[in-house]
Amino acid sequence: MQIDYAAVAPELVLTGALCIVLVVDLVLPDNRKGLIMPVSLLGVAGTLLALLALAGDPTRTTLGGMFVVDSFAVTLKILFCVAALLTLAMSYDYLRKEGIHQGEFYFLLLCSLLGMLTIASSRDLLPIFVSLELVSVPAFVLAGLQKIDVKSNEAALKFFLFSILSTAVMLFGMSLIYGITGTTNLAEIAVRLAATPVLRSIAVLSVFFVVVGFGFKISAFPFQWWVPDTYEGSPVPVAAFLSVASKTAGFVGLLQIMFIAFHGLADVWRPFIAAVAILTMTFGNLVALTQRHIVRLLAYSSIGQAGYILLPLAVVNVNGGSVNHEAFAASIAYLLIYAFMEMGAFSVAVAYGREGGYFIDDYAGLGYRAPGLAVVMTVFLFSLAGIPPLAGWAAKLFIFRAVIDGHEYWLAVAMAVNTVIALFYYAKVVRRMFFEPAGDGPLGVKVPLLLQATIAVSTVMVLLVGILPDLAAHLARMSTLV
Amino acid sequence: MQQVVFGIVAALIVFAAVRLVTTRNLVHGALYLLAVLAGAAILFLLFLAEFVAWVQVLVYIGAVVVLLLFGLMLTRAPIGNMALDSQTRPLAAVVSLAIFGITSTIVWKTFKGQTVHFSKPNTVDTLGRAIFSQYVLPFEIVSVVLLAALVGAVVLARKEE
Repeated sequence: MQIDYAAVAPELVLTGALCIVLVVDLVLPDNRKGLIMPVSLLGVAGTLLALLALAGDPTRTTLGGMFVVDSFAVTLKILFCVAALLTLAMSYDYLRKEGIHQGEFYFLLLCSLLGMLTIASSRDLLPIFVSLELVSVPAFVLAGLQKIDVKSNEAALKFFLFSILSTAVMLFGMSLIYGITGTTNLAEIAVRLAATPVLRSIAVLSVFFVVVGFGFKISAFPFQWWVPDTYEGSPVPVAAFLSVASKTAGFVGLLQIMFIAFHGLADVWRPFIAAVAILTMTFGNLVALTQRHIVRLLAYSSIGQAGYILLPLAVVNVNGGSVNHEAFAASIAYLLIYAFMEMGAFSVAVAYGREGGYFIDDYAGLGYRAPGLAVVMTVFLFSLAGIPPLAGWAAKLFIFRAVIDGHEYWLAVAMAVNTVIALFYYAKVVRRMFFEPAGDGPLGVKVPLLLQATIAVSTVMVLLVGILPDLAAHLARMSTLV
Repeated sequence: MQQVVFGIVAALIVFAAVRLVTTRNLVHGALYLLAVLAGAAILFLLFLAEFVAWVQVLVYIGAVVVLLLFGLMLTRAPIGNMALDSQTRPLAAVVSLAIFGITSTIVWKTFKGQTVHFSKPNTVDTLGRAIFSQYVLPFEIVSVVLLAALVGAVVLARKEE
């Protein structure tokens, strides 16, 4: 079998990099472990370069048709690499301060990233499943790396138990699909399901199982119970990585399966997805109102955001057409924008958590103590809330337009109501920062250089896409599979 | 003949599975799990999938169950009778029965009266060729998963100084 090595070059570079990280960790003495971070950074940067070399090429298919490199795959892989770079930069000081094993941390992070890269190229149930495992397995360990912290142990254990349960359910669904169609190729599944209407009821059952499995990964209601505890207990950069990269990987798998393999059954699953999306955003936003810990607030907010991203799936048309195209593009655009605002908010939480604390009460008077940090936090929170002219506003607009185009007006209304609810808790933090007197906290917050870079990149992206939303829209339209 | 063996093995699996979730002794539970997995291996043999059957024996019985027993032994976990179940037992029963009912009804309705003919058994040869040609991508991804799991297990189990 011929292998198109150019198509798999980014994955090969990353695999090489993670082997090097492992060896470097072995030979470095304990007091020099910090050097592993630049090595990992170079590895991901090299992967990014290999990806950029592939951008704009015609579609490549290799490894027995299982591995496809098209604009969808390249766009999302670039997003995953950027998210990993931001996480690496965010982690450096945090790990040293908390005394977390650095070598293993970076190695596991790169392994998880490799899974994300392969899932974006997988157009077959088998690699989608194993890639998803490669995303999750290192993440369990990352969540539990603060070994002496009971909360970190709880985070890892909850994440692990929920995840293996969801994986088992999803795998059962996939095995049913293979059993009735005799293939694991997504496009082929769609053809065979359409050709054999007798199997419709059993196909619907397996779609249900697969959606339940992905529901855990993307933290959709009612499978989101692990999220707040896991995010709170994990090292904070890991929480950021989980809420951005891991969730996006789940969505990538779900979007590919639903749009390519199961769109013929859209009549059946559409109402189900609509209900899940609405419940997810409503639950996330309502519970977020009562949170007092900033990471828990961001966790519930990220559950709410998952609801928005899921919403366009509720207008998918069985016959295909422009509605599907717009729906797919809206979800992708939201994922692209969401990554930067969420990463930004988490990096401010890390920066302030070093000295100030992680409770929302600790944020009182941040506007006087560290005006710069308070202003960028406001930018990220208002962007998550969807206030113009920030990027989050454009993201919500794309979803809104896709839902209106699909003539599901009540979904648009539900989304609008949720946006208003969400504004309350984002604004609550902002009010704390600017309109409440400072407590005993430190005056002026020192932010390490790498963390500054993370915050700066996220801010620039949020502002840039907010002013030029067509950038994200264009990229998303190019990167659809329908 | 095949039908008779299937009936006996299936009954055995169901019995062991029910005991597995109702027993209050962890070691008994592990042994019932062993019976369930051994039964599944026999089912694979009946379907002429001998390689899968032996993998089932080696991996699940040889590794997973033994690991479970070793884990109990080495961590000195309490292994006598104890309350293994939580308060959610009735709810769990309802959910499992509902899933069982729905799944089996749909499968029964879809495939009622159909027979499956096994033409030729899948040999290790065909499987090996498939893994290293058509399925090389999932195979390679799995190898990285194993590496990550190995490193993860070491870092979590290592004693902090």
